[in-house]
Amino acid sequence: MRTRTKLAALAAALALVAGAGMAAEMAAKPTALAIGANVPAADVKMKGVDGNEVTLKDVMGAKGTLVVFTCNACPYAKGWESRIVELGNTYAGKGIGVIAINANDPKVVADDGYDEMVSRAKERGMKYPYVVDATSQVAKAFGAARTPEAFLFDANGKLVYHGAVDDNVESAEKVTKTYLKDALDSVVAGKEVSVKETKAVGCGIKWHQQA
Amino acid sequence: MLPLTALITGLLAATPPAPATAEKLLEEVRRPGATVTLVNIWATWCVPCREEFPDLLRLRRAYEARGLRLVLVNADFGEGRDEAVKFLGEQGVSFPTLRKEEDDDAFIRALGGGWSGALPATFVFDGTGKLVDAWEHKETYVVLESKIRPFLRREGKETTR
Repeated sequence: MRTRTKLAALAAALALVAGAGMAAEMAAKPTALAIGANVPAADVKMKGVDGNEVTLKDVMGAKGTLVVFTCNACPYAKGWESRIVELGNTYAGKGIGVIAINANDPKVVADDGYDEMVSRAKERGMKYPYVVDATSQVAKAFGAARTPEAFLFDANGKLVYHGAVDDNVESAEKVTKTYLKDALDSVVAGKEVSVKETKAVGCGIKWHQQA
Repeated sequence: MLPLTALITGLLAATPPAPATAEKLLEEVRRPGATVTLVNIWATWCVPCREEFPDLLRLRRAYEARGLRLVLVNADFGEGRDEAVKFLGEQGVSFPTLRKEEDDDAFIRALGGGWSGALPATFVFDGTGKLVDAWEHKETYVVLESKIRPFLRREGKETTR
């Protein structure tokens, strides 16, 4: 009986500890895609700035695939934009399929609308699709939370890098860690990516509300 | 609503947030004296951050006497830093605040709680400095209040509303 009481007390204590641990994790946030996972939502059609619909399956490259959730208005997306375009254009020519996805609801931030995307893509010279995730379902499938946020898959379509472009949004000159470029180089070379996950401050995705 | 005098004091006293690494921020969290510490990471470009700001200040006014410590951490960069000082003044903030220093990855990981880096982000630490809750969206005053209430001292007068 005494042992039983002790066990019950222990179980209760463990439950408390487990509960506290869970409470200390971010509430109501989708879990990000795990390293090693396949490309999710690969068949969802998304309208690009050229007017054509594409799926992630369509853009997958022979050596790998880079998916960047971004937008027009967020200062972090803007801060990293020219570096993202440069990497995208460069590695699109090296066998990497590249796509930028805007999952923001333009009803929340007007500058995130389609017309602004078209002019932004033109202005910046994006040589890869910049598409609309009209219901945010692709971003949700990735467990993306902010803009910009990069997901890089290898030639087998497995996630090998998730996170930031580099370690300095403010100044390209002050960057000391070129996370995404290093990961891209590894993928192109068919090597293992050494830094697989990084984090950066960014704007929360402005989710489309379900009708 | 802020009394006019508080607003004027704030405008006069608004000082730039002090640069802080995650380690310095956590030192502030663990500094004795509070029964609960709310850390809020905000930026002027972040609309929900700006919207939530007055409620955070109201919460501090209501519960500081019962153990609440509010630590505001600005994450603006470039010209946004001047905007941040201006915004703090407009909001009547005359207590010390912090600014994120150090690269994002190290800062975000050190704070913990599974934070993705999206703003606004709010963290609740108990009196011992242990992280007990965290979320990365704007919250209402009622929810903010419910999150800190279990850790407040019973004595003292509630001055809310």
